[in-house]
Amino acid sequence: MMQYLLILLDDTSVSFCHYDKPHTPRRLIGLEDLKAGILYAMKENLMVQFVYPDYELPQEHLNIIDTIDHHNIKPVGMGDADVVVLEGCDPTASSLNGKVCVLQCKKKELFTESDSISAILRQAQRLNVVITDQECFAYKDLKKYETLLDKWSSVLKEEYLTGRTPQFNLLTDRIMLTKPNHCNAGVENITLAPNGKYYICPAFYYSEPTDCIDPQNIPNQQLLRLDHAPLCRHCDAYHCRRCIWLNRKTTLEVNTPSHEQCIIAHTERNAARRLLSSIREVGVFMPEVEIKEINYTDPFEVRNEWQ
Amino acid sequence: MSKIKRQNSVWREKIAKNITFIVTKDCQLACKYCYLVGKNMEEKMPWEVAKSFIDYVLDHENDPDFAYEAVVWDFIGGEPFLEIELIDKICDYIKIRLFELNHHWFNSYRFNFSTNGINYHTQEVQRFIEKNHEHLNIGITIDGTKRKHDLNRVYKLTEKGSYQDVVRNIPLWLEQFPDTGTKVTISSADIPYITESVLHLYRLGIHQVNINVVFEDVWQEGDDKRFEEQLIQLADTIIDSDLYQDYTCSFFNENIGKPLSLKRDNQNWCGAGRMLSVDAAGNLYPCTRFAQYSLRSKKALIIGNIKDGINQNLLRPFLALDRMTQSPQKCLDCEVASGCAWCQGENYDSAHTNTIYERSTAICMMHKARVRANNYYWNKLYRKLELEGRHNEFEKSKHNIKPEIC
Amino acid sequence: MKEKVGQVTIEERDEIQHLFERKNGLNELAMILTPDNDVLYQKLVKDMGEVGTQFHNWWDRMSQQYNWKGTSDGHWEINFDTCEIFLVTA
Repeated sequence: MMQYLLILLDDTSVSFCHYDKPHTPRRLIGLEDLKAGILYAMKENLMVQFVYPDYELPQEHLNIIDTIDHHNIKPVGMGDADVVVLEGCDPTASSLNGKVCVLQCKKKELFTESDSISAILRQAQRLNVVITDQECFAYKDLKKYETLLDKWSSVLKEEYLTGRTPQFNLLTDRIMLTKPNHCNAGVENITLAPNGKYYICPAFYYSEPTDCIDPQNIPNQQLLRLDHAPLCRHCDAYHCRRCIWLNRKTTLEVNTPSHEQCIIAHTERNAARRLLSSIREVGVFMPEVEIKEINYTDPFEVRNEWQ
Repeated sequence: MSKIKRQNSVWREKIAKNITFIVTKDCQLACKYCYLVGKNMEEKMPWEVAKSFIDYVLDHENDPDFAYEAVVWDFIGGEPFLEIELIDKICDYIKIRLFELNHHWFNSYRFNFSTNGINYHTQEVQRFIEKNHEHLNIGITIDGTKRKHDLNRVYKLTEKGSYQDVVRNIPLWLEQFPDTGTKVTISSADIPYITESVLHLYRLGIHQVNINVVFEDVWQEGDDKRFEEQLIQLADTIIDSDLYQDYTCSFFNENIGKPLSLKRDNQNWCGAGRMLSVDAAGNLYPCTRFAQYSLRSKKALIIGNIKDGINQNLLRPFLALDRMTQSPQKCLDCEVASGCAWCQGENYDSAHTNTIYERSTAICMMHKARVRANNYYWNKLYRKLELEGRHNEFEKSKHNIKPEIC
Repeated sequence: MKEKVGQVTIEERDEIQHLFERKNGLNELAMILTPDNDVLYQKLVKDMGEVGTQFHNWWDRMSQQYNWKGTSDGHWEINFDTCEIFLVTA
């Protein structure tokens, strides 16, 4: 069921997900389109999430934004926000204490700036790390990634022992979740772009502006749902976002993830399992949670068991 | 002993890798129902591309893509026998390389052809057959009676029917490949000629008739009723004349028209993704049906090339696909679902988005009509055998008796 | 005339089927290989001899083991699908 409407306020709105923000000129959403989007959200009972660019918006726009209950997703340094987006690891970023943060980075930066991520974990209430070039992950990167995850696990464990419970999408989410928590673009949320048209998500807008949709009539919408994803519906890497834009980019099908997406998600899943076990060494912790031991990192390898 | 002739089993079904060379896009004919909408005379496979492809396949013997016990090398066009010299060279190279490499496929391979039969008799084709006889599957497409065949299978320039030029080669073909079968295609205009055509093929000496309706959305209102009537008429003739003892028609199969379990019967039966096709440019496809010349409305779905190999991520959707994920609810609820086929290529071509996961249901009414006629056939046949006291014998003799001379 | 005279096991069938396929492959290879390609040709000749011997040995061994009916003017055939052995006479 549709629950959220994401409104990109500008073509240069910050990216908080797997797509790279394109280098385009500023293009603010028109006032009429903004009003129409808010009206649509009100009628369809959708929670609105505004995605901001890195400059101050005109007062007229801000006034319209305030006419509806909403969440704000802003780049760091743009004032109060429900979600702060860090575009790249920046150790000097203003205080992230108690904030919900999204960190976009590439694989190379992930490996070289791991200490910065540790530092953020010690400040933020929640950190989402989004690797924007997942398709570049190879087997040789997995061992390194595993080591990093275990390093961050140690940081998290230390924080837990002090009484702080930071959330980290790559590790703690899998422990906390009892069922899949996917992005669900096109099923639970859609996007209104600055051109006034609707899209499955911002990534679809930026990669192909002609790919707009009629929100009331999305063709083959069932393929965006979990029950029509033949691999994912059996998978227990619940924290995986199951990014359908990435799916389509790598396999040409919205319902099929690439090998790289799967092995990354399972490396994280297995690290979460180790973290859970490690925390339990010092006391009882979520005894009802069990993350089973598995002998594969890609559910594609075991698909015959359920086909 | 009472028997019912069964359709020949497919050679090494499920354990043979199908590898297809699109050797040419040229054809003498312009069959009206042909799904190859982009045939042309320009694109012929160069020898260098064929060789590079063979080397690529044989170099990857242990890859999961090629770890099969057996192989079927398939040659398709257009009309493949227009490129018999190239094919001959390809086959010779394959045989030598398999032997040189001690490849296990040397002990288990076939060369497969589906031809319009027009130049079957030529010296070049006959020489090729003689050289490779024990490893050949050759099917000639003859669509039935002259009037049915010539309705669709016409020469491209003159639009003259090709029946005469094909039928003259049938005796030679049957002599060289006894108990082989032909493929017959049914489109809307062909329906009135189904019965006479199948019986005509039997009279020509063809004992196995593999006949199916096209997957494309060509059906008119009332076609399903007319189709059902034709099949019932055919059923009556086959049973009343005891033709079922020596001839088969693929329309009649004991296993079709049953409900399917969502758990037990969820597999994808289409081989797209498990087979491999290569074109003249060295592009690789999960099935020939995804090459551009085969698609009406979508872009070709290329999964790799002979230089870079196969992009495994592009194969994943094909190999993960199952019945449930691609079928609309009416198919999942259907009480006569078994035997209702789909073509992944047609699904892709007719889908509302660029996906292989939207099953085309253009043949739904035709399948249901076939199921009704099929039920009639088996009810009538079983009753006949029962009244004649031969039903138990028939049950015992359910094997396909096709001895190989060894 | 064709008469069923016996049946072999699946393993025995697999054995002769493998030899049958290889024999056919070697025979057809012999049509295109010439002594010019010396190494390969020698390998082929050797292989043909070996496979031919194994092939005949299988029939001898099986016919003795199962004591199939035979005639001077007949030959045995195997159905690879059913593993049945037939005696074929004029």
